[in-house]
Amino acid sequence: MLSGGALLLIAAFAVLLLLGVPIAVALGLSGVIVILALDLGIASLPTTVWTGIAKYPLLALPVFIAAGMIFERAGVAERLVRLMSALIGRRAGGLALVAILVSMILGGISGSGAADAAAVATVLLPSMLKQGYPRPFIAGLVAAAGSTAILIPPSIAFIVYAVIVPGVSIPALFIGGIVPGILAGVSLMVPAVWFARKHGWGARDDEERPPIGQAFREASWGLAAPIVILGGLRSGAFTPTEAGVVAVFYGLFVGVFVYRTLNLRRIYEALRDSAEISAVVLTIIAMASVFAHAGATVGAFDAMARSLMALTDNETLMLLIITMMLLIAGMLLDAISIFMIFIPILMPVVKAYGWDPTWFGIIVTMNLAIGSFTPPMAVNLMVTCRIAGCTIESTTGWVLWMVAAMGTALLAVTFVPELALFLPRLSGAL
Amino acid sequence: MPAGPAGADAAPAPVQEPRAWASLSIEGAVGAALMGLLCLITFANVVTRYLTNVSIAFTEEFSVAMMVMLALVGAAAAFARNQHMRMGFLVDGLPARGRRAIELLVLALGCSLFALLVWYGSRLAWDEFRFDVGSPGLGVPQWLYTIWLPVLSAVVCARIIGRMIRLVRAGPAEASTPGRPGSSTTGGTR
Repeated sequence: MLSGGALLLIAAFAVLLLLGVPIAVALGLSGVIVILALDLGIASLPTTVWTGIAKYPLLALPVFIAAGMIFERAGVAERLVRLMSALIGRRAGGLALVAILVSMILGGISGSGAADAAAVATVLLPSMLKQGYPRPFIAGLVAAAGSTAILIPPSIAFIVYAVIVPGVSIPALFIGGIVPGILAGVSLMVPAVWFARKHGWGARDDEERPPIGQAFREASWGLAAPIVILGGLRSGAFTPTEAGVVAVFYGLFVGVFVYRTLNLRRIYEALRDSAEISAVVLTIIAMASVFAHAGATVGAFDAMARSLMALTDNETLMLLIITMMLLIAGMLLDAISIFMIFIPILMPVVKAYGWDPTWFGIIVTMNLAIGSFTPPMAVNLMVTCRIAGCTIESTTGWVLWMVAAMGTALLAVTFVPELALFLPRLSGAL
Repeated sequence: MPAGPAGADAAPAPVQEPRAWASLSIEGAVGAALMGLLCLITFANVVTRYLTNVSIAFTEEFSVAMMVMLALVGAAAAFARNQHMRMGFLVDGLPARGRRAIELLVLALGCSLFALLVWYGSRLAWDEFRFDVGSPGLGVPQWLYTIWLPVLSAVVCARIIGRMIRLVRAGPAEASTPGRPGSSTTGGTR
């Protein structure tokens, strides 16, 4: 049974969240309320906050956010779109495929789904509208495709998971995310092409096909970025943070000297904006450590893990329960907050069943990817709907098919763990 | 809906810059500087490791402390701009007057959390100063790092209070959170 302290923690958090208090503040304040009520020592609050984020591996987070931002501002997205359009050509569903493929490649540069979706939606919206794709479909498709960014390395979500779960390495998660990320992207192609064919979107022949050679030369600089990042990590030449910084400087080189799209002003803006985005995420992590400290002290997480395990002894059923729980949470909260709240509850379950923590991190992240574009509350969908100029509700009819498609990929990785684990094992990262 | 020129900021809805007493570009500049420094220091680490025998791994301690500062500075600006992720769907359903009251309550709650950090953070830094605590890595006085926690938390408080003042002055109509159709919003897109 939950102790009084645990109940207080959960109730305070829920009330604050529903009031519309920022998630970071809700986490910190509910922790503080429990610490004060049970006299657990409020004087350690600043130390908890400080040590919550003052961790070397976490440096990879702001650095990869900056790298993604610099490539975005350098204009990598539209060059990738040109290359993919040249390769795929004009056909029904062509641009839908382009959107998915470009999102996946951008996911190999940036680690945040919403940023990825925003870049692709901005670049592709005009031509997709011209070819007859409806706005809600575009918004839904790009939001779903963008969600693969947190699976395809680098990934902000994996960095945070590795920081909070002992014994899990960032390179193993990064490499393990490749196959599930590709599966997730490919699964989206089925409903995308099906709907496009059925309605004849993109079948009209009016846009000029860019020359492949030139498109490839320009896009190759962007295509090389994931190889630089993963190659450096895989060879052990760089720590994850260093791989991110190398990507930052590579992006600066491409933007300043090759594409000539970055000047000092735009570099400054990219640094400033990535600093603020990082700060929002880091604040959640810092305040979540207050929540975690209070929750662990009053035994809230262990008690919840026990009640979860009391539900069933069946491993398959347990995985399905966890999946459902995370999908619902993913509709309400962002990926980072869910990690900070749910991982302490789920880790005892993972231990009890002897699951591989790397694989578990990957399926949790896949769940959160799906949650990030499942209406009514979806971070990615909100971004793409704002760009496409439609309501979130209007996308539901399309998006549910994409949820189902990516859900199939999720079930595959859930019940065939080797899909996630064979690459890290092969490369020696596990 | 303007989609913006290709390659430009992927900022779907431009955030209206609040009229603050002290320009938010201060936090912007400090954040950009910290981010730039973080990248430069880490890059210098890679370069020196591969080109020379000199190790500057001790800079990790600075980098990590700078990341904490980055978090607080950016958090301050994000409070002023209402960019922190939050669930707004219940509050958005209320009439304007109730919405403003709750918004003020929400801001006051945020301010109280950071005020606690100012108070206990200064006591921590003071203790470290009095007892001459050295940092674990470099042995420099620990309070030189810790002091930034209360100082920057005070900046966060000031930004929150600034937004409360603007909210009170603006009247009930302004209390809504524009461009946020009832959901947790992301700071990740600006």
